[in-house]
Amino acid sequence: MEQDTPTTLLAPSAPGTAAGDEAVRPGFATRWRAWRRPLTTLVILLVGWELLGRFVLTNPLFFAPLSEVVAAGIDLWRNGDLETHIWVSLSELLEGVAAAIVFGIAAGVGVGVSQRTREYVEVYITALYATPLVAVTPLLILWLGIGVFSKAAVVFLTAVFPILINTASGVRATDVQLIEVAQSFCATRRQIIAKVMLPAAVPFMLTGIRLGIGRGIVGVVVGELFGARAGLGYLIFTSGQTFDVPALFVGIITLAAMGVGLTLAAELVEHRALRWRRSVSMD
Amino acid sequence: MERHPASVTVEHLDMEFVARGRRQKVLDDIDLQIAPGEFFVIVGPSGCGKTTLLRILQGLAHPTSGHASVGGRIITGPGTDRGFVFQNDALYPWRTVTRNVVFGLELQGVSKKEAASRAQAMIELVGLKGFESHYPHELSGGMRQRVNLARALAIEPAILLMDEPFAALDALTRESMQRELLRIASVAGTTVVFITHQIDEAILLGDRVAVFSPRPGRLKEIINIELQRPRDPDVKQSAAFQDYVGRVAHLIGHA
Repeated sequence: MEQDTPTTLLAPSAPGTAAGDEAVRPGFATRWRAWRRPLTTLVILLVGWELLGRFVLTNPLFFAPLSEVVAAGIDLWRNGDLETHIWVSLSELLEGVAAAIVFGIAAGVGVGVSQRTREYVEVYITALYATPLVAVTPLLILWLGIGVFSKAAVVFLTAVFPILINTASGVRATDVQLIEVAQSFCATRRQIIAKVMLPAAVPFMLTGIRLGIGRGIVGVVVGELFGARAGLGYLIFTSGQTFDVPALFVGIITLAAMGVGLTLAAELVEHRALRWRRSVSMD
Repeated sequence: MERHPASVTVEHLDMEFVARGRRQKVLDDIDLQIAPGEFFVIVGPSGCGKTTLLRILQGLAHPTSGHASVGGRIITGPGTDRGFVFQNDALYPWRTVTRNVVFGLELQGVSKKEAASRAQAMIELVGLKGFESHYPHELSGGMRQRVNLARALAIEPAILLMDEPFAALDALTRESMQRELLRIASVAGTTVVFITHQIDEAILLGDRVAVFSPRPGRLKEIINIELQRPRDPDVKQSAAFQDYVGRVAHLIGHA
């Protein structure tokens, strides 16, 4: 696309315009500059892909140029298939992650607060965290069928442990003095957990959730490879079996976009929730 | 909820810790009588058990033998009749100034409206009007200590326990905080037990100054400070003040 023209026009004037009345918010030119370089990389990659598909890997059984992938994407969108696949995968992911957040935080607080609980379960939680739980997917599909529910269960299993473990270490990392302050104000155990330990653990929880989303996306794809009627993983799997390379790429790209979108959303929430923290690396 | 300043009594109090399998005595046979409304300062070198004594008064630690009481009631645990000002401000970083000050009232289940109005009064008393919605990391060390003080005062304690609250501040901020504390204490009208290792701070603030000796902490002597109130840090220049400094330094030096 012809994106070069506005860049060269705007860039030289950038330092001057931002200095005036709008000093707090970076001006359009400054923000545009932050995007320019990664976008350049993207354009080069996309053009390279197109050329590679047209002149080097020309066998349609193994590769497809970008233009054909885009065309396949438009087709899949027009006939409604893509929307269905996105919707199925997204609901599997969101249901699983939501359940993982609720259970992970509750159990994480329990494990973090109670030494006794920790002694009973900590070793096993660590072991399960290290186990690639997508391996139990066939079992879950046997139990729960090939619908959305079995995949949500896979997502839950893969996402719950980072959330649980991070929450527990966040609770345990609570500054002792902050607990003593609450004690000196006669706080009950419940109040200490709710008003001191939980908020202190929030940054850890958010990190856990972000990790959980990442693992959950893997869970969705793997789950759908093992048995599904729809979903992006299903689209990738069936396209591969029918040598429909353009559709296969549509599945991969949509999945990547979904992952990026959710990670950005999580970062936005994190940024909002942690306004009280002095930022470490921001200028 | 109107509270009157309470008295403090400490009788035959001993405190031992077991560290690495060895018993260590930190407080040895302490007897104290603090009158209602008095500004009582404990001064001593580090390791004399003064913070331990304060924690016992707050109910965060329990003596090995003997007992301490507040307003005639023996201390068994923390109570809302006592407000504790911690050495490093120990504010909740995720709470704004107002929400930090309101914390103790929130735990007691005081209605939001009343808590907010009491907190506002305390914030104004410590001179932080205009900073209500700031987070602790946006405040200077002196301002954080003011919030810490306001938080302790908001529950309207009969006794204010202060554990070297200005130790981490620079000299100038410390001086202005001392001036502020003199003003605030006279307005709030609570009994104050204040701990410090700085001799001039002890004499400037205290009605009486108790000098402790280190390991095990023993009460060496209590000195009446008969400097006129209201006091101002300028009093440090006076001969009478320097005289007190000499006496306390002598006592500590011969510990």
